[in-house]
Amino acid sequence: MAAMLTIDGLTKAFGGLHAIDHLDFHIDKNEIVSVIGPNGAGKTTFFNTITGMIRPDDGQIIFEELDIVGLDPSEITRLGIARTFQNVRLFPNMTVLENIMVAQHSRTRRGAWSAILGTPAFRREEVEIRQRAEEVLSFFGTRLTGYRFDQPAFTLSYANRRRLEIARAMATQPDLLLLDEPTAGMNPRETLELTGLIGRLRSEKGFTIVVIEHDMRVVRDVSDRVVVLDHGSRIAQGTYHEVSSNPEVIEAYLGKTQE
Amino acid sequence: MAEAIAPPRLGVPAFEQLNTRRVATWGSFIGITAVFVSIIGMVETFSDRLLLDPFLDLGDLALIWIPLVLGYTATYRETLEGMEPPRKGIHNIVGGAAAGLIGGGVMALFILLIENVTLRDIFPNVSPELIDLLNFGHGAGFGVVAMIVGGAVLGGVGGVFHLLDQSTRAAISSGLLWVITISLLELIVTDLVEEIPGPVEDWLYNNDGALRWGAAIAIFALFAFIGYATRSRKDRSGSLRSTIAAMPEHQRTGVGLVAAFLLIGLGFALPSMLGSFTNEILATVGLFLLMGLGLNIVIGLAGLLDLGYVAFFAVGAYAVAVLTSPSSPKFDATWPFILAIPAVILAAAFAGVMVGTPVIRMRGDYLAIVTLGFGEIARILFISDWLKPTFGGAQGILSIPSLAVWRWVISLTLLVAAVMVARFSWQRLIRPGIEPAPSPRLRAAAAGVAALIAVGSVVAATKIGIDGTFIVQGTQPKLVFYAVFFFAIIAAFISWRLQDSRVGRAWMAMREDEQVAEAMGINTTTAKLMAFITGAILASFGGALFAAKIGSVFPNSFALIVSIIVLVLIIVGGMGNIPGVAVGALVLVGILGGPTQPGLLREFEGFKLLIYGALLIYMMLKRPEGLLPSSRRAQELHQEEVMQDAWLKGEAGQAETEPAT
Repeated sequence: MAAMLTIDGLTKAFGGLHAIDHLDFHIDKNEIVSVIGPNGAGKTTFFNTITGMIRPDDGQIIFEELDIVGLDPSEITRLGIARTFQNVRLFPNMTVLENIMVAQHSRTRRGAWSAILGTPAFRREEVEIRQRAEEVLSFFGTRLTGYRFDQPAFTLSYANRRRLEIARAMATQPDLLLLDEPTAGMNPRETLELTGLIGRLRSEKGFTIVVIEHDMRVVRDVSDRVVVLDHGSRIAQGTYHEVSSNPEVIEAYLGKTQE
Repeated sequence: MAEAIAPPRLGVPAFEQLNTRRVATWGSFIGITAVFVSIIGMVETFSDRLLLDPFLDLGDLALIWIPLVLGYTATYRETLEGMEPPRKGIHNIVGGAAAGLIGGGVMALFILLIENVTLRDIFPNVSPELIDLLNFGHGAGFGVVAMIVGGAVLGGVGGVFHLLDQSTRAAISSGLLWVITISLLELIVTDLVEEIPGPVEDWLYNNDGALRWGAAIAIFALFAFIGYATRSRKDRSGSLRSTIAAMPEHQRTGVGLVAAFLLIGLGFALPSMLGSFTNEILATVGLFLLMGLGLNIVIGLAGLLDLGYVAFFAVGAYAVAVLTSPSSPKFDATWPFILAIPAVILAAAFAGVMVGTPVIRMRGDYLAIVTLGFGEIARILFISDWLKPTFGGAQGILSIPSLAVWRWVISLTLLVAAVMVARFSWQRLIRPGIEPAPSPRLRAAAAGVAALIAVGSVVAATKIGIDGTFIVQGTQPKLVFYAVFFFAIIAAFISWRLQDSRVGRAWMAMREDEQVAEAMGINTTTAKLMAFITGAILASFGGALFAAKIGSVFPNSFALIVSIIVLVLIIVGGMGNIPGVAVGALVLVGILGGPTQPGLLREFEGFKLLIYGALLIYMMLKRPEGLLPSSRRAQELHQEEVMQDAWLKGEAGQAETEPAT
């Protein structure tokens, strides 16, 4: 199967610090890949370079046979890559529904004129946007629906904010979904629920998923393949079991034993 | 709520509640404010304006409110939701009186000081007249005693307010507020009551324009009753605001629509009842409303803090001046105003791009400073020798013809408007079978208002006719107001439509978090430019009307203060909310006056900027969401309270305890 995303020799340095150092990475359609590594290994920088929020110093990022290095984040989103953020970054003063509606921006077209004139095409599109938003939110059961539609996002509980962020990424209608620590700060039960949800994102919605995760049970349960980063480069990859017994990985996490 | 008010407990324990430090602080505030108000000349200037026949003038009022209000504040303690309210009792009165006493003492010292030392070299307003005013013409001894006793009594009265229950408090404050308002706004009230047959005006005011005693008591009684009634209604069924907020969405939009139609109708009816001075003020209000709506898009929706907004106002004015004036240096042709409008739009859009492009990557404070610079650059360009051959430099451009429109255009617009209102009401509110159905009362109201507007428009259209040109002379403020109001409605309509559209949502997202907005597929460069251009076009309409009204443009009409006033009015009114901007324009520009235009309170002319500043500080501290906020923004700025309420109602944290599905 052809790789959906191929990354070659990706490099990004902040001053003297090599956040990403000649990183190679690929993900196939319909795969779920976990990216793990100790703090500061460059995982989030990796996401930032893919989504165009940071421009890499060197290397290629090929998404669906197109080099996306140097494109604006909004263009990359339009091509079909969406992400969530490690520290939840919703639009706090917009309602739950608006958060999802605004994410469909790149999939819709009506501009200011048709809005002012209220053309039939505009009204049709508004109805569609709303319906699609409700549909996306219903993926999370009743948690984000009903009276919550019109609540500002900041009133949501922490776990619901995380869910809303995933919903918002889904609403951009991506092919590739990048989840940055989706279970951070959640309690065990919520974590378990989210693990199942990540699986459903693939089986029901057909997304290809890269997930940065610290919780090893989640990593074990969701991933087809695990990629381990340290100091910006890949030190291991393989199934969860291969990786978890890899001495280099253990060393990266726990340090070298004194001889 | 009944059990929330503990019976006042008298006796010693109550004094444990008295926070002496707070009382002392507020007491000195009373003194400092009173001295300040006297030193800057407010007391003296205002004393010429009699409010209440025969003895209460505005100068007295400028002093009296201080111990009253601050005496109340001196023992005020916040009631936290879900907590036991602070106990009330005699200590409130004592605290208020003590604060008033301290304030009066400071004032007494001030009187002694100015009696014995001449301060006029430093404070020109400390004149013998002021001294006479402060000691009531009876010598320093009387003044000192009067200040101390008066301060203590008024402070105590302020403290008594704590002991009254909510309804009584609401009744008294509403009564007082309206007596003051009606006596202050004598100008507009006389205009309005002229319509009523009978000698109402003579009954209300004496020859100096001061309210008569009998009238004052009647007004107080009337509004105290209204205040009491509203308050008890509020206790029973919540405030009007929360009632509307609790309505289902379609009902809420319906009420909003009917209210908007009603306001538009009122806007067209009002000028015929007012005199030319008040109409002049109204026209200025409309002009600033127009600009406020534009800036509201840029700042309130898109979150781009633009402090150089006056530049677009200037561009609109100069575009009209150059194109329509026969004496514009470069361009001899005189276009009719209507044809100049497309050019104004183009010029404004160009200016929007010119200002927007360099600041695309800037945000927050940096953006504010740079746009501030652009505002000044615009003025300096218009005044410069370089562009003098086109814009006339410091001499400006004169003899701009009055706004002239073909009569058939006006009639046609009125008819189209009538049809639109009728159709809109029919489709959205009246037609049977709308899902979900509006309430019968709303249906009836919508039908009534729509019919009223339709009939009004048709009558107006037949009056105007179709032959010839209609000239809106700058000297006929009523017509100028109509022109300005027309554009303001367009601006409000545009803002309203954009708010709930794809573009508006993109702006909001950008305001919330620009980086994330970009990551969610919004091209922020385009969105920002769009916001700048829309704002620029609305401001340029203001400029165009301004030029046609005044008949001349000078670079110095476009000073920084215009930007500041537009900004302050949307902050005070309620950012992000169209009715809020309207309220802001009415209060700020209507009552206090614009940068060079007088407001209803002409006495405040010299202190306008001081009051703007004071109002802004007060609003930022106490009501940052503005006088009439959008419900969302009110929530946003009181996030903690919302969260606290949610916690108390057991809503927050609910998701965590929900069983996993």
